[in-house]
Amino acid sequence: MVMPSSDWVELNFGPQHPSMHGVLRLKAKLDGEIVKEIEPVIGYLHRNAEKICEMTYFNDNLIYFDRMDYVGAMNMEVGYLEAAEKLLDISISERVKWIRVIMAELSRIAAHLVWAGAYGLDLGMLTPFFHCFIEREKILTIFTEVSGSRQEVNYMCVGGVYQDITEKAINEIEDFVREFPKRLKDIFNMLMKNDIFLSRTKGIGILDKETAISYGVTGPMLRASGVEYDVRKAEPYLVYDQVNFDIPVSYKGDNLARVLVRFEEMRQSLKIVEQAVKKIPDGPYFNPKAKKSLMIRMRGEGDVYARTESSKGEFGVYIVGDGGVKPYRVRVRSPTLRNLSVLPELAKDVMIADMIAISGTLDLVFGEIDR
Amino acid sequence: MNYTVQVIGESVGKDGRKIIKVTKENFLDLMKDLRNQGFDHLSLITGVDRKDFMEVVYHLHSMKTNEYVVVKVETRDYKVPSVTGLWKSADWDEREQYDLLGIIFEGHPNLKRLFLPENWVGHPLRKNYDMKKTQYINMDEEGNDYATFDERGGW
Amino acid sequence: MVEVKTGDAGVITTKLEEAMEWGRSNSLWPLTFGLACCAIEMMATQASNLDISRFGSEIFRNSPRQSDLMIVAGTVTKKMAPRVRRIYDEMPYPKYVIAMGACVVQGGPYVEGYSVVLGVDRVVPVDVYVPGCPPTPEALTYGIITLQKKIRGETER
Repeated sequence: MVMPSSDWVELNFGPQHPSMHGVLRLKAKLDGEIVKEIEPVIGYLHRNAEKICEMTYFNDNLIYFDRMDYVGAMNMEVGYLEAAEKLLDISISERVKWIRVIMAELSRIAAHLVWAGAYGLDLGMLTPFFHCFIEREKILTIFTEVSGSRQEVNYMCVGGVYQDITEKAINEIEDFVREFPKRLKDIFNMLMKNDIFLSRTKGIGILDKETAISYGVTGPMLRASGVEYDVRKAEPYLVYDQVNFDIPVSYKGDNLARVLVRFEEMRQSLKIVEQAVKKIPDGPYFNPKAKKSLMIRMRGEGDVYARTESSKGEFGVYIVGDGGVKPYRVRVRSPTLRNLSVLPELAKDVMIADMIAISGTLDLVFGEIDR
Repeated sequence: MNYTVQVIGESVGKDGRKIIKVTKENFLDLMKDLRNQGFDHLSLITGVDRKDFMEVVYHLHSMKTNEYVVVKVETRDYKVPSVTGLWKSADWDEREQYDLLGIIFEGHPNLKRLFLPENWVGHPLRKNYDMKKTQYINMDEEGNDYATFDERGGW
Repeated sequence: MVEVKTGDAGVITTKLEEAMEWGRSNSLWPLTFGLACCAIEMMATQASNLDISRFGSEIFRNSPRQSDLMIVAGTVTKKMAPRVRRIYDEMPYPKYVIAMGACVVQGGPYVEGYSVVLGVDRVVPVDVYVPGCPPTPEALTYGIITLQKKIRGETER
């Protein structure tokens, strides 16, 4: 433990700062250019979603989950419905399960694309940002086709999805699957063939396995530190046990490892989408037991915890019901909150510029951290 | 699973996870025991306001064996021993539950509010929190936030 | 008739204010000010598919001192509101504000809560409101064009 020195300068980053990915505020104590201590201050986007969820019907709560991880909204819906449907005893058909898998994986790709573009911006590259957003627009076109909305889709509902997936949407997905690998390679090369990018990520911000587990870090960050933990494999939900995919793992634990793991995850997600589009069976897209007119009468009792793998890590939803039409308590396990809590460990005795490079790899989304 | 401590009861929840109920006195010993048995990942700490008592729920997970266990402890004086010494992720989790529910985790090294300003009155997720009493927030010259009931003193 | 370029310099007479307003409206520099969900749509507006540099809002400046348009994109919480005001105060005159999204317009889906400001117009004066949750990039572009018309003094129905 280093004793605080009077020469240290206290510097405040944020909450409005171009490289803070939203509204993160960091109180840093600096010795020259070296960051000695860092204290994240959060809560600038605390929108009291957990309180409002207690005042709203089970099905209507979905819109608040869309707005948690707003770049990968479908993953949030899957996470909430996994818990809510268990609590309300409502089953879903096989077709719905496959539709949800396709949408969740497309959403994961979209989330990682936003991250890749923004991380390029953090390190001073503007071009990957434009290319990432072109690809993201294609995914959003698919979402618009199925749900009518671009980003906060609100596509799923208790008991199924609001509309069946159309033939046009399936064609669009197939086109995307065919074209995306080449475009992804372009984006990947744009980043990886840049010496500045490599020198700012290689060997910077090393997170070891024990620290990561102890801080509750999950998702690509944990897998970049050498732990092969993915909820899709550890506790398969929907139909993830029927598709063939790999979990990318790196043992380096540095910035570059986290970048590579995320890129490989996009390729694996694409593989899942490719299989799912072929396997999607016929059937109802909605369980009539959860008809819209009955939705306000759905009652749930007991407590249910469901974990799913969002684009950021293990996204858990814990719902307590007291037999009423509204949940008694909703608690969200936010993966990015835990990923952020490890930042003071990672950004110790590094340069200020490296601190930005490290906080970029955490993939922070504040809707989910502050809720 | 064997424990060296006395537990109130074991059951299986609606989601198929094993639930252990324990008294507040034996709670910390049980958590130490579970930590030694390989539950290295504290997934979630939840406080549930049951109106006359507070229920604190811990979701534990083992990365090696992929086992899952839920520990429930009840408290009437809103005080629970802190588990920050066992899992580091408990630090922010406990601060969040203190902020929103007012559960005091005894032995926490830095029990401050996580989201709201330090002088915010009341804990919003409690069932008896009065939503009609609007509070406003402003910041001082240092950049730190404070809460006030004065409508003109903040936003 | 096809215009023939003769090479002779023509003369345009206008009022100085009108020339200033015309120039000002076509070179709006927005501030990089993302708060929540709408910020991603604001980034999409800037990115390739719907490039707002076609409308003069070319560069997103990182510093409030260099920008004259603040697009408030995303929920303004009570904790963030003093900062929004501080950033607005730091911008040089003339300055304009676009409120993007339902949360910024009047609280949106979080209107029942305890920690959300019910409309950013309680904090800073707003020129153009863009509703939607989140508004599409096209909607934001329309908002910017509306603001340009407002600056030029053209009436908007």
